[in-house]
Amino acid sequence: MKKIITLIFVPMLFLAACKKSIDLNPLSNVATSNYYKTGIEIQQALTGCYSGLKAPLVDEWKMTELRSDNSIMGNAGSTSVPNRELSDLDLFIPSTTLNSINNYWTNVYFNIRNINLILKSLSINYDEVTGVLKSDSTSVIITTQQRKELSAEATFLRAYHYFNLVRLYGGVFLIHKPITPDDAISINRSTVADIYKFIIADLEYAAANGVSSNYPTIASQNFGANLGKVNSWTAKALLAKVYLTLNRKSDAIPLLTEVINNSGYGLLTSYADVFSTTNEVNKEVMFAVRYKAGGLGLGSPWPNSFAPELSGTAVVNGDGRGFNNGTTELETLGYSTTDLRKPLNLAIWSSGSNRRLYPKKHISQVLSLDDGENDWIVLRFADVLFMLAEAQGNIPSSLAIINQTRTRAGLTALSATSVATTAQFETELAKESRLEFAFENKRWFDMLRYSITMPSQDAVTTIKNHFSVMYAGHYGKYPAPAATLLEIQNYVNTNRLLLPIPQREIDNNTKILILQNPGY
Amino acid sequence: MKNKKNRHSILVLFSLSMLLIMLFFTSTVSAQNKVILTGKVVDSITGKAMSGVSVLALNTKGGGVVTKQDGTFSLEIKKNTAVLIFSFIGYTAQTVSIVGKTVVNVSLVIANTTQEEVVVIGYGSQKRSTVSGAVSKYKNDRLDEIPVSRLDQALQGKIAGLTVQNISSEAGAAPKISIRGITSINAVASPLIVVDGQPIADGLAYLNAADVESIEVLKDAASAAIYGSRGSGGVILVTTKKGNSDKPKYAFKYTIGQKTDYKRYDVMTTTEYTNMLFYEMALRAADPTVIQSVNTVASGDRAAYIIENALRDKQSTDWQSESLRAALIQNIQLSASGGNKNSKYFISGGYQKDQGMMYKSNYEKLNIRARLDFELSSKVKLTINLNPSYSTKQSPSENFTNFWRFPRWMPVRHTAATATLVNTNPQYANIKAGDYAHPRHFSGLAYSGLMPDGSSYSTTSANPSGSAQNNPKSTVDNSDLNSSEYRLQSSVELNVLLLPGLNFKTLASGYINQSNGLEFYKTDANREGDVNYGIFTNGSNIDILSENTLNYTKKIKSHDFTLLAGFTSQRTNINRDQTTGMNFPNDDIRTLNAAAQIDQGRTFGTKNKVGLLSYLGRVTYAYNNKYLLSASLRTDGSSYFAPGNKWGSFPAVSVGWAASKEKFLNDIKWLTNLKFRGSYGATGNNRIGDFAYLDLLSRANYSFGAGTGTLNAGLFNNAAIFGNQDITWERTFQTNFGADISLFKNKLGLTIDVYESKTEKLLLQQSTMAFSGAPQFWNNIGSLQNKGFEIDITNTNIQRGNFKWTTSANLSHSKNKILELGKETYLLNYGERSEVYKNEAGQQLIYYNGFKTDGVWLSQKHIDDAKAAGLTSNLSAVFTPGGLKLVDINGDKVIDNNDRVNIGNPYPDFTWGMTNNISVKGFELTFSLQGSQGGKLINGDPNYNESGRVIKVYNNNRWISAANPGDGKTPLSRGTGFNWMLTDYVVEDASYWAIREVNISYKFEGNMVSKLKLKSLRFYLSAQNLYCNFGKNYRSLNPEGRSQTGPYASVLIDGYQRGTFPINRTILAGIDINF
Repeated sequence: MKKIITLIFVPMLFLAACKKSIDLNPLSNVATSNYYKTGIEIQQALTGCYSGLKAPLVDEWKMTELRSDNSIMGNAGSTSVPNRELSDLDLFIPSTTLNSINNYWTNVYFNIRNINLILKSLSINYDEVTGVLKSDSTSVIITTQQRKELSAEATFLRAYHYFNLVRLYGGVFLIHKPITPDDAISINRSTVADIYKFIIADLEYAAANGVSSNYPTIASQNFGANLGKVNSWTAKALLAKVYLTLNRKSDAIPLLTEVINNSGYGLLTSYADVFSTTNEVNKEVMFAVRYKAGGLGLGSPWPNSFAPELSGTAVVNGDGRGFNNGTTELETLGYSTTDLRKPLNLAIWSSGSNRRLYPKKHISQVLSLDDGENDWIVLRFADVLFMLAEAQGNIPSSLAIINQTRTRAGLTALSATSVATTAQFETELAKESRLEFAFENKRWFDMLRYSITMPSQDAVTTIKNHFSVMYAGHYGKYPAPAATLLEIQNYVNTNRLLLPIPQREIDNNTKILILQNPGY
Repeated sequence: MKNKKNRHSILVLFSLSMLLIMLFFTSTVSAQNKVILTGKVVDSITGKAMSGVSVLALNTKGGGVVTKQDGTFSLEIKKNTAVLIFSFIGYTAQTVSIVGKTVVNVSLVIANTTQEEVVVIGYGSQKRSTVSGAVSKYKNDRLDEIPVSRLDQALQGKIAGLTVQNISSEAGAAPKISIRGITSINAVASPLIVVDGQPIADGLAYLNAADVESIEVLKDAASAAIYGSRGSGGVILVTTKKGNSDKPKYAFKYTIGQKTDYKRYDVMTTTEYTNMLFYEMALRAADPTVIQSVNTVASGDRAAYIIENALRDKQSTDWQSESLRAALIQNIQLSASGGNKNSKYFISGGYQKDQGMMYKSNYEKLNIRARLDFELSSKVKLTINLNPSYSTKQSPSENFTNFWRFPRWMPVRHTAATATLVNTNPQYANIKAGDYAHPRHFSGLAYSGLMPDGSSYSTTSANPSGSAQNNPKSTVDNSDLNSSEYRLQSSVELNVLLLPGLNFKTLASGYINQSNGLEFYKTDANREGDVNYGIFTNGSNIDILSENTLNYTKKIKSHDFTLLAGFTSQRTNINRDQTTGMNFPNDDIRTLNAAAQIDQGRTFGTKNKVGLLSYLGRVTYAYNNKYLLSASLRTDGSSYFAPGNKWGSFPAVSVGWAASKEKFLNDIKWLTNLKFRGSYGATGNNRIGDFAYLDLLSRANYSFGAGTGTLNAGLFNNAAIFGNQDITWERTFQTNFGADISLFKNKLGLTIDVYESKTEKLLLQQSTMAFSGAPQFWNNIGSLQNKGFEIDITNTNIQRGNFKWTTSANLSHSKNKILELGKETYLLNYGERSEVYKNEAGQQLIYYNGFKTDGVWLSQKHIDDAKAAGLTSNLSAVFTPGGLKLVDINGDKVIDNNDRVNIGNPYPDFTWGMTNNISVKGFELTFSLQGSQGGKLINGDPNYNESGRVIKVYNNNRWISAANPGDGKTPLSRGTGFNWMLTDYVVEDASYWAIREVNISYKFEGNMVSKLKLKSLRFYLSAQNLYCNFGKNYRSLNPEGRSQTGPYASVLIDGYQRGTFPINRTILAGIDINF
């Protein structure tokens, strides 16, 4: 009898215990479905989205600076896959399956998804028809003010990503809320116009709802704890750039003027100070992706990535990867020897066949590999000034802007007589901007934009000239059979100014036809 | 180096054979008084005289005879002989006491070995004769003498349908094992390993081969379905040894031997390489079609030549010898077993040391096992199993590839001459002779010297190597990678006979795996200016299982029933922590307290619980042991799936017909046994990542604020795969038909199985549009098919007197096919060099998708002719003299991506194994052959700069110029012409066969053994990989080698190898004593 009781009892005992044994929850992670419920949680998720800005930057220089006339890959003729990819990008012959094109895309959309999760829980919804953002009622426990500020930051970050995407890939997929894989296969590419409409909506929202205190106030409040977060001024500056890109100069000018007059941001007196790791988020920096050294896992890879390969400890501990090599073109045709910006942008390592030009402004000493302090500056006040000059065209105040950075760099001011014609002005503006912002991933986008805003500065022509100047020293050194200069120059055309949509996005959709960018 | 290695092994061999010979002679000492014994042997049933029966006296040397035509024998034996052994194929051997006898008459009984064999199945055991599923049994026949450190490696080629691929011969490396093909794409589809009833993932890694009694492989779904949830990859059941109710028995085994590499890369010295370049340049110089301005040898190559020739006096570093060595392996096993009527014990201890062939790699294992069986009463039995083990592992921080492809002109350490040279660079002014040399030291320096063609050359700045890597030897020397694992497997099993025939069993078992490790890198270990750091890891895996079953057996006349009902619950707790400390004040103080800083970027922890809850039942029925039926059902609930999708049911049914028991077959004398089997069943798979149904947020901190900022806590969903609440069990349905045949009184045994399986609702990481926020998502979609057959043959070829030769062989064929991939018709996957692996519905799981080639373009004229005939292409570098010539498969005169076709797949047509055992008196020779036929692999080595340039086989007969086109098949170099990795030029035959194991032993009998009070004494020599035969166009070291990391971790990418590790050839000697 006793046995029979045991027999029945023991399994019963387990039955009771067991329902629980398979109803388990993660112990080391929170699921998205259980998050985004309070202002604090939204703040933490948004912090995560700021950190999500870093991953695309790893590839961004390859899409921008490398393809411009500032940078070349350092190892002509190397056949390793990463190096081959770099030269393919540099030569405007990337395959549609190129890793960095795909990685950049994936990482940007990755962050967009995280941003959309935040905006969805805050019920900030985009109406595709009217092209405006609406605030609907939300169940998140949050103050109205905090909701406005956090959603303004989120929309800014989303607009920043889309602005890069549309300039690199053209009409991309417009995703403004979290979607499921099933939703995704019915979504086709949007037009470039629709993407810009969306970017403008986001930035207008960010400008209207973001923190509008000026820089000195932000820097003084709460020991400057909010420095590094985007605000209304940043949104206005980026919106102006969007307008300028669309050649809507008259829309850009008031925004730029407002930022210049009221934001409290301004130029530093020393160019080197702008990039100093002991002077981060200074008043010239309107938006930077922030890195922090010290074994926190938040260090910047730039010192080791951009230091010359084989430099040992001469430039930075742990040697360099030799990415983003400056062109001798920039050295001989660009900077004058007394230009104070030159040592920061075109530092020289070694001599002979080992001689390399490298962007020292991104390099500070590291204790361990890829643990640099250097922030990545995305938008700075000098850029706002240059945008205004570009929007205004050749008027005296525009020349004054150019001269402002020239004199800061220790050069003499240009006289109005030497910059008489529009073409002269445009050439000087483009050149000055190139020297000022070298290796800030800005040159490429400027070249694209100048083609529209300043027709004398056509991008395709600029690149062909670049190939010609650099042929003997670089492009002619590719392994046999080296392409002739003419062949290389023919690689580039207006179609090739856009990157291809990653092939996988076309291949993976068996439901609708997705068109590749023309020319690929 | 090579000489030393050989000398070593010759020494070991020599001393052992001397020992054997000496022992052999000492046992033949003196003659004894002799007695003549006579008798007759008959068949126990027919009573007919039996001829050819072997009659052997125990404890005498050799003196055996065979019975004559009339069954009689006459044998001269020593006076003190106690027993005679009578044996005949197909009959049970008999041992007969002859004390005080001169005439011995014996009747032999037909052996029922096959029928009587008991097979372990899930949650029970069954007589072989009544099994209706596909179950293979492998009895531990000296598995422990196979010179490998892991049990799974020892099983290669032993069991039909079980594929073991030794993808690397590095110490302790896990082989890839599978049963009957591939049943899953993204879920783990390796077989479930069950040790004495407890599923243990790494069971084959830690078990001591000497402790294993038998290994059963449940191959068809019907057999595996009782393990429902995790049975779709097949199940391997390991049963360990237990004691007998007997006097204490002791066993001691010691083996020692060494392991060397079977084959190395044939790498050119820098001088040889430069000579080749100059030779080719000279040929081109005489060729009018060559543009002479580009016909030159690069300054870096010239500088390298100067270093090796002038500065190093033609010394060339053999980096393979710098990393490889003759490695020692050692194994000590001791066991004691015995017991009485009520209690039995088996206790063993083992120590194993397995040095890796690579310098600084080492694996040591200490094992203890105790198994105690108690009969508490006539109705209650208790079994206790305890198996603690401890293992340590040391690994080199650089892999073999980083050694052998390193430039050979580089010294390991600077000589006076090279130090003087690099001192010319102020950055390296302090380098002295004896310091480690690194490639960067040599870059940008001035070189001058004579070239191979006698010309002199000088340059102000040249780069002999573009590598920023440290010399691998220095990295290995400056780092220590150690880890250790403590494991404890323990179980308590209580059996209670409740009523006659009704047995209740409850098993509680625990498996604990505690691991910790430290990887310490000294200052400057990897790169110059690196601060020292240590990665401390801690992990534990605790697996608790409770298993409760009721077993009822009933026989009513000719009807046999068994019923099984059970309930099990399993819980696994997983913890993993990693802490990285850096900037230790001293390279020798390596505890965390000394670290100046914790590196948070490399510090993390995870903790998880996994639960599985199951109900199971099985019914078997046999009529007259002739008609057999078995049906089972298992229902599993898993924590891996979301509420509502946790449960899955796995039914199975099998039938059998023992045809040979039918009257109409009784008269066929040569047919001993014939059984047909058929089964159908479902098995499942849930082995995906923890909580794959959820999107999880992970740490993503960021700094805001003035100055360098203040750290702010952030969270981010960074999974590359979307979770999916709807996912549930992946299920495999399999049909199996089989036959067991034994002929000529069990002389020849044959088992044939044919199967077809279909896996549905695959747990697939389906590709999605990356713009949705992750490139993949989990889904139950798509289906796979596996079809195949297996044949197992055992045959006693010769048994005459003392001579016996048996062969067992097996052959398996398995072919998989993708039936559908959900909405997609195919998937494309890319390897590290953009080579394409295509997964297409209707095709085998993977095929290489690329261009076919037809040799190389011999000249520009060759190309111009083709172009004139209308051939065009938009792809880059298609038309290059000396480059590969792509085939326009579709004949549209355009070479484009439409010409990409199937250029091979990684799957062999069949795999096979064969073991021969020959014994003569005390001598025994066992040798196993094993092979694989028909698979293809992609060899990445030719395409790599470092390897492709300097390995001879990739450069022989290559195209040089139009006038010197080589063999017309070998392109100039990887930079010339079309990308090799997209073509069949790098596809090679992966077929091979090998003499895997040879074991020669001599077992001493007679006086000497009994004088030493031993039961038996055996010496043996064992060797692994004495000979390996590779496919004809295979150019590397191990056709089984496969890259497994990076993109190659995916099941959808397979068949790629690069920098393969050499196969080991192991020779060892051992002694085996029982007393």
